[in-house]
Amino acid sequence: MIASNPAIQPNPAIQPNATIQPNTERQPSRERKRAVSRYGMSIDLDRCTGCGACMVACAVENNIPPAHEGATARKGITWIRVFKVDNGEEGPARRSVFVPVLCQQCGEDTPCVHVCPQQAVEVDPATGIVGQMPERCLGCRYCMAACPYHARFFNWWDPAWPAGMEKTLNPDVAPRMRGVVEKCNFCHGRWHAAKERAAAAGKPEIEAGAYVPACVESCPTGAIRFGDLKDSASEPAVAAKDAHSFRLLEKLGTEPKIYYRSKRDWVRQVAAAPKPPSGKENARG
Amino acid sequence: MQRTRREILLFMGGGAAGAMLTPAPWRLVTDAAIWSENWPGIPRPARGEITARYTNCALCPAGCAVRARCVAGQPVSLAGVSGGPLSLGALCAFGLTGHHLPYHPKRLKQGTPEEAAAAVRGAMAKCGPSENIAVLDLAPGRSASWTYRRAMAAVANGVYLAPPLPLGGAAVNLAKARIVLSLGAPLLDGWGTPGNVHAARANFRLVQAEPWESRTAALADEWLPIRPGSEAALALALTDPKTAASAAQATGLTEKQIAGLANELRANGPALVLSADDLPEAMALNQALGAWGQTLAAGSEAPLPDVWKKAAPERVVASVADNSIRVLFIDESVPGSHIPWSAVEKKLVRDNPVVVAFAWSLEGYGRHAQFTLPTAVYPELTGDIPPAVDSPAATFRIAAPLVAPPAGMTDPSAFIAKATGIDPGNALQERADAIYKSGQGTLFTYADAKSTPLKDLKPADFWKSLNEGGAWIANAAVGQDAILRGDCQSPRGPIANRPAGCLPANLPHIGSLDTAFPLPVAFSEPQSASLTSPLMSKLYQDSDLRMPPNTAALHPDTARASGILGAARAVLETQYGRCAIGVIPDASVPPGMLAVAAGAEVLDICGALTRAKVVAA
Amino acid sequence: MKIPVYMPFLAGALAALGAGWVGFPHAIYKSRPQPVDFSHKVHADKAGTKCEDCHAFREDGTFAGIPSLSTCAACHAAPMGTTVAEKNFIDRYVTPNREPDWASYAQQPENVFFSHITHVKLGQLKCEQCHGDQGASDKLRPYQVDRISGYSRDIWGPTLFQSKAAGTVPGMKMDDCVDCHRKQGLSHSCLDCHK
Repeated sequence: MIASNPAIQPNPAIQPNATIQPNTERQPSRERKRAVSRYGMSIDLDRCTGCGACMVACAVENNIPPAHEGATARKGITWIRVFKVDNGEEGPARRSVFVPVLCQQCGEDTPCVHVCPQQAVEVDPATGIVGQMPERCLGCRYCMAACPYHARFFNWWDPAWPAGMEKTLNPDVAPRMRGVVEKCNFCHGRWHAAKERAAAAGKPEIEAGAYVPACVESCPTGAIRFGDLKDSASEPAVAAKDAHSFRLLEKLGTEPKIYYRSKRDWVRQVAAAPKPPSGKENARG
Repeated sequence: MQRTRREILLFMGGGAAGAMLTPAPWRLVTDAAIWSENWPGIPRPARGEITARYTNCALCPAGCAVRARCVAGQPVSLAGVSGGPLSLGALCAFGLTGHHLPYHPKRLKQGTPEEAAAAVRGAMAKCGPSENIAVLDLAPGRSASWTYRRAMAAVANGVYLAPPLPLGGAAVNLAKARIVLSLGAPLLDGWGTPGNVHAARANFRLVQAEPWESRTAALADEWLPIRPGSEAALALALTDPKTAASAAQATGLTEKQIAGLANELRANGPALVLSADDLPEAMALNQALGAWGQTLAAGSEAPLPDVWKKAAPERVVASVADNSIRVLFIDESVPGSHIPWSAVEKKLVRDNPVVVAFAWSLEGYGRHAQFTLPTAVYPELTGDIPPAVDSPAATFRIAAPLVAPPAGMTDPSAFIAKATGIDPGNALQERADAIYKSGQGTLFTYADAKSTPLKDLKPADFWKSLNEGGAWIANAAVGQDAILRGDCQSPRGPIANRPAGCLPANLPHIGSLDTAFPLPVAFSEPQSASLTSPLMSKLYQDSDLRMPPNTAALHPDTARASGILGAARAVLETQYGRCAIGVIPDASVPPGMLAVAAGAEVLDICGALTRAKVVAA
Repeated sequence: MKIPVYMPFLAGALAALGAGWVGFPHAIYKSRPQPVDFSHKVHADKAGTKCEDCHAFREDGTFAGIPSLSTCAACHAAPMGTTVAEKNFIDRYVTPNREPDWASYAQQPENVFFSHITHVKLGQLKCEQCHGDQGASDKLRPYQVDRISGYSRDIWGPTLFQSKAAGTVPGMKMDDCVDCHRKQGLSHSCLDCHK
């Protein structure tokens, strides 16, 4: 019988691991290669005036058609949409803020990738972009239910442009048909064009700043900034470390790559609220 | 030989089994899948060489620099030019979709220019001694505007009418401002040149005084929620402290707040005061604060050919006698201000006036004119853009055409010149020559982001660069022979000396509470009487970020009190008429007022500070 | 004589096999000749020695594809030889300034992004490796298109479905691209090739 040996004392040199850190080296099963870049954004809510330039620039770049007759705020296609949210007060104490919301490009446990029965969406290993492939989509809309940010849109109708306006379509982006889901891909058509320009110059990789999405380029106040989160000098990487920065629905663990920033405390509190107050019918369910 | 059913079934079974071993069924399945994805009617974008072309946006006087990404010569997207001297790379939602306008479903494609010309000739011949021939130019300050002024000087009884310029033609130097008081002016939502405003924003403290939390108020350093209609009272009290008590009553602020603001404006200058409708009281306050010479100066235009100076003066519609205009030309070919039709109509003679509108759609004055002649639309038209209100120096910028206009379009300058017997010439080239002769200023070219003094350029290069995307900017100091903007401005004289016809508002302010029209109106969207791209539905219909034209938002309580339940169609009524609008209940609009997105119908009956009422349709 | 039970079955099977292997390819493809009877060989000898001389790359790396009329008209504004083919070309296309409606054997769906410059400059691929030895051909083979899917027969590569005329042109379907990328150890994520 092995009696407990009272002479054995616990070794004080061995400290219990009080804070077990998640293993950040573990890649989700799809990202077999280490990503070369991780593109992200920083959005300064103290600069956004809610002008909507980003929304129309996105629609121009990505061949999104004008609203169908039956389209409403629930059924329309707005890959980026600016919401107006307020502090819940009435009268002179009311303060509003405009929040552009687009696909948050979730990095970890990407909900839409998990649920798609067609594997029509994938986290791109080279860029970290969550790439939606409408040509594979069968239109079940499971991803729309799974996305906590309501950033995915269904083509309820065939896209239709007024006669002649189809001449203004962008050849770098394929128009989608009725019955498929689409969403922001960080203007990967522009990424393709940047890679092609780099290849023409004999370079296999694009340089920092070689491509920006349409919303970033069009923002008149410079509220939306884009860059590689792996490049510590880029705006989003700097914003990620800023004390005034936050991400939407952080507690879900989706690790979005879009960092919002505001010096106003109430804005940060409202962003974390379960249902931010708004006078408008911000209809996204 | 009889075939039994069994044999036939065996044959078919063999056929099926054999078919499985051929490519046919498998290919048919694959092909059907591909066929189902190639839906008819989905357009294939055209391919071609991708080039960049440059121009200036003609959709508003900001005239922001534009870089068009063109595929085989067709613009497919627009962006700002990051080195653009004033616009600094910014382009608004309207500017970003300008290249769609030529394909707008409501675009006017046909007109009857011969008939119109004949009617004009007939009416001009019949013109009585006290009757006038008039041009109403909704976008004054262009070179085409000078053509109209010359045309009106060439005929007897010719009158040139234009809406008054903002701030009476003064130019704002925002970079010098350290404190800005805006009485409802949408400084951060489409005022002036947005790129310039946002670049200067960090330099000044912005106090926004308005009844509701507009976009500008939401981002201002301080929002003073004053009662609707009390802007003038506040400005008066800030000029003359003796009126502070009545201002406090009118605005709902405390006297202490007003006194504090008055001190701040004087201590933390240079100051600038802006207002939604160019209130004379706001201009008086600017003078009292010493804004002239600092944040405000006389606005000037680019040099002119001498022969142009023989031109009719600018007049406002209100200055013309009633029932005196026999022939009226309305140039609506570029977006500009809108003058209510009721104000224009009463100036027309009673018997058979001839009204010819030049527009690219029937939505504006086309509703009222006898003849509407279709014109080219940005980015097809060639014209110049007058200096922006926040451009301290004179500028000359051409909106060079990026696409060819369709056949059958009328050029308003050519038409009016022909009707009045003057030679229109090539107005833009003559102007460019005159600028070149003046020898001063700098040319900024967008393609290579270079800035070249004018005297280092050859005239042919100057003209070429202007047409390939560039801007000429005068040297800052306004010279002796500068062409001042706004003939009726009097920058250094007391405001009281201004002729009555020069007051900014086309519709008089209703100061006292009028129970027939209880709801003061505030314009909540950048005004566009003109049609916008169908893609603006992203902001109007696919989301509720902005209100479409001819829509009003009001507090749910106010809506209920007016008999309107929920979002609905309704009728907006003012003392000038009524029109149909859409209504959106919005709790962020204070009770007892209307936030209106103006369109042509609304602007026909409603100025910036009118009072109105809303009834269910 | 009683027919054995398996005869109708066999007859059906044979009929289906015949229809499927011989009749079906004939029916599923629509064939049309190219608009101009163009000879690569003649032009390779006289007009340019490299494919890129006519099938040009632009400065930003984009590929101009099949040359437009202006490239041809630069030399053929007037007849340069005595062939009927050239005369037809000038009469039908150069004089009325009408672009010939060439059919591209390698036409890809709208949602595919293929960067020629990347494969040629960085990948060091030769044109023949994917397009076959076009430069040496004297005639353009007819364009055979699948009636239902709308794509060229030539995308099938050296499979059963390949037409004889295409010879050994490699396949151009997604699987063929992914195969080669895998073999070369290159990335082949969705975003790399889809728009």
